[in-house]
Amino acid sequence: MPLEGLQDPLRFSRKAPPCAVVIYGANGDLTKRKLMPALYRLAFEGRLAPGFAVIGVSRTAMSDDDFRDRMKHSVKKYLEDSPFDENLWLSFAKGLTYIAGDVGQPSSYGELAKHLEGVAAERQTGGNVLFYLSTQPSQYAQIAEGLGSVDLNTPPEGNSDAWRRIVIEKPFGHDLKSAGELNTRLQAVFRESDIYRIDHYLGKETVQNIMAFRFGNGIFEPLWNRTYVDHVQITAAESIGVEGRGAYYQEAGALRDMIQNHLLQVMATVSMEPASSFTSDAVRDERAKLLRAIRIMRPDQVAANSVAGQYGPGRSGSEQVPGFRQETGVDPQSHTDTYAAVTFLVDNWRWSGVPFYIRTGKALPKRVTEIAIQFRTAPLAMFRKATAGAEALPNVLILRIQPEEGISLRFASKRPGSGMQIRPVSMDFNYGSSFGERSPSAYETLLLDAITGDATLYTRQDMVEASWTAVQPILDYWSTQKFDFPNYAAGSWGPAASDEMLARWGHEWRRP
Amino acid sequence: MSCEVIKPDRILQQLAELWKDTARPEADADGDGLLRACAMTLVSFVDDEEDAMALGETLALLMREHPSRSIVVRLREGEDFLESRVFAQCWKPFGHRQQICCEQVEISATMNHLQDVAAVVGPLAVPDLPRLILLRSARIVRAGALRKILRLGDKIIVDSSLPGAPGFGELGALLESGHIAGDLAWTRITELRALIAQVIGDRVPKNIIIEYEGREAGAETRYLEAWLASGLPDTVVRLKGSGGQGTGVPAVVRVDDEITICLTPECAEIEIGQLKQHAPLAVGSADELLNAELKIVVHDEIFERVLNRITA
Ligand SMILES: NC(=O)c1ccc[n+]([C@@H]2O[C@H](COP(=O)([O-])OP(=O)(O)OC[C@H]3O[C@@H](n4cnc5c(N)ncnc54)[C@H](OP(=O)(O)O)[C@@H]3O)[C@@H](O)[C@H]2O)c1
Repeated sequence: MPLEGLQDPLRFSRKAPPCAVVIYGANGDLTKRKLMPALYRLAFEGRLAPGFAVIGVSRTAMSDDDFRDRMKHSVKKYLEDSPFDENLWLSFAKGLTYIAGDVGQPSSYGELAKHLEGVAAERQTGGNVLFYLSTQPSQYAQIAEGLGSVDLNTPPEGNSDAWRRIVIEKPFGHDLKSAGELNTRLQAVFRESDIYRIDHYLGKETVQNIMAFRFGNGIFEPLWNRTYVDHVQITAAESIGVEGRGAYYQEAGALRDMIQNHLLQVMATVSMEPASSFTSDAVRDERAKLLRAIRIMRPDQVAANSVAGQYGPGRSGSEQVPGFRQETGVDPQSHTDTYAAVTFLVDNWRWSGVPFYIRTGKALPKRVTEIAIQFRTAPLAMFRKATAGAEALPNVLILRIQPEEGISLRFASKRPGSGMQIRPVSMDFNYGSSFGERSPSAYETLLLDAITGDATLYTRQDMVEASWTAVQPILDYWSTQKFDFPNYAAGSWGPAASDEMLARWGHEWRRP
Repeated sequence: MSCEVIKPDRILQQLAELWKDTARPEADADGDGLLRACAMTLVSFVDDEEDAMALGETLALLMREHPSRSIVVRLREGEDFLESRVFAQCWKPFGHRQQICCEQVEISATMNHLQDVAAVVGPLAVPDLPRLILLRSARIVRAGALRKILRLGDKIIVDSSLPGAPGFGELGALLESGHIAGDLAWTRITELRALIAQVIGDRVPKNIIIEYEGREAGAETRYLEAWLASGLPDTVVRLKGSGGQGTGVPAVVRVDDEITICLTPECAEIEIGQLKQHAPLAVGSADELLNAELKIVVHDEIFERVLNRITA
């Protein structure tokens, strides 16, 4: 712990304590694109301790210098809105080392342990280690067990202040059962409080801003319940198809890839109860409670409350694009959902009877992620005669997550002139125009959180299992269906069945 | 020499006209609209001799992070003079189509109009948003008019390292009268302080020596000394000047025999035993420093504690 007398929380940005980060899968895509640029950027901002170290592990044989060269190339290529500083890189790169090893080889863990001892002495990392598993998910448990076999899961003897943490990337299992098995195996080695399950959506500034918006303002929260909210729509649309990631994607599908994790976490953030404090467990307890309150569908309710879709050939803007089954690496008979929409109900006092519609898809008309909270209409249609019913347009509060982060509120206003003509207008808050500062990437935020031991934005085991529980009946039902895919054209807003799902409640999807 | 009657209502009306004009379809050629952004009122008092272009650039950069209604008051000696003009400062953030615009009011006045200026600036402040005053005018300090303008702001920002600027004494008086004050000389050492805190970690040093260039320690060095001494009551903190010419800013910080931090304007070379590391230190350009200071509109306990230690 740094000395209390030298702290200045009002002015100092958060700094990482000395530590080593071990990346399993250091030769992979995620390391190149996200992890290393995020670590470099943290160094650029002076957030990392002077002796910070990274140890890369994968099978490919390479020297420390080869690894440094590759990482330099990736950082330069993928560093977003930041300059590359050659001097800083030289200093940062001194802390990078590499071990070639197969996670299936028991001896590799002993080698790592020895290497870490050397790093701790040379770089003064204080014995603190963050293990980051960026390999195939099927290897997570094996790696954790391997680390445990050489006692890397606990601090070295006589150094009880040191910490050991493990970060794993999604997916956390591919269904409820496998998620449970993974958790059991991980927890046999690491304490739950040392397991950090990363959901990069929760690291996005604007998702965090939902909490600031809800709980930092006095005026919205009183309206945030079944009395005033008619329904909620959460949309995460991608304009591109699977573009080369077809092979991976067809194992997952939209429901598993987006809704089970990211979008249910977003829904929980929008609808959870206020936490008693902004501490990691208090916030996560509330998220978990909300996820557990989601009504579990009976098999006979699934068809009416969920829609699977797959895109066929179509037009994206002015370009003709292939259908999913025509993408490279994809089975021409594939039954994978590239679109999923679900109606969730939350059985708690606040939200009883309010539908939460979630949709996500590939090859939709535009890239947009937003949450729309539609309020009930005014109780008395006072201006109906003069405006042909236009005032019946409800207020909608839109929390925009990407691409233009912000918040807008639609409300009715009188048109200038005589007579009571009402027109909807929008009041806009644009994140970028009120704060010109650069927003840290989700990985910068989350890596720094893990190094400083703040798990608020990480997913806990009970949250993972609660969200699998919510989607499992849909997965089970879908696995028995023979869908008539493709059922939407690339560049359209998804299958007609999705509109019908909302129409049954008297609602319709927004066109974001 | 012109001496117009300036009234807050007229300036506010001019601002309203300005927005209508700026948003006209002819002015907004791309048709993507513009956004009027405002998160505070920033009043800058400067002496007329100050480089108008440099100040304009600093304020323009600042607006991107702190969109404001910016009021620049240029003060001069000499014949009776009072004039105002309004204009908009617009920019298009990278990758965005919509322009963002902030409004600026510039008032030029001779010192005999200081009273009028205060009467105009007060009502021009945007209601319900923080009002910050950047005090760069040595003239105001010399004229003893500091108190007159204090009432206009929630926070007063000075740079005590500039010649003629309010010094520790005036800053102490500001604090005593209950104001929120900021000093860019203190802001300038934020990154260095954070680095020192990080590098020291959980050790309690016996001795810290701050070496500086020159005969006399500058404001930054004195702040650093007072901060370390107040945060580490069991540590002996000493200053050591190189003698001769020099700006008085910190050059090397030595913590016992274990840690040396050598400072250059943009970075620090750190040695902890055998470990050598290079760390970037934010350059602290005028806009970056102000930017950091504008973020804080509450009493800064640590700054106040350190300043009290210096002025005690
Ligand atoms: N890429 C993304 O944007 C993204 C986004 C969200 C989540 N994720 C998750 O992050 C994880 C990593 O994704 P990725 O895209 O980086 O995968 P990837 O490109 O396939 O990288 C995995 C790396 O692990 C190494 N590896 C494979 N088998 C190994 C073994 N037996 N022993 C040691 N190393 C082995 C491989 O390098 P060698 O060939 O040198 O061994 C490979 O480069 C996955 O779980 C994925 O689901 C990725």
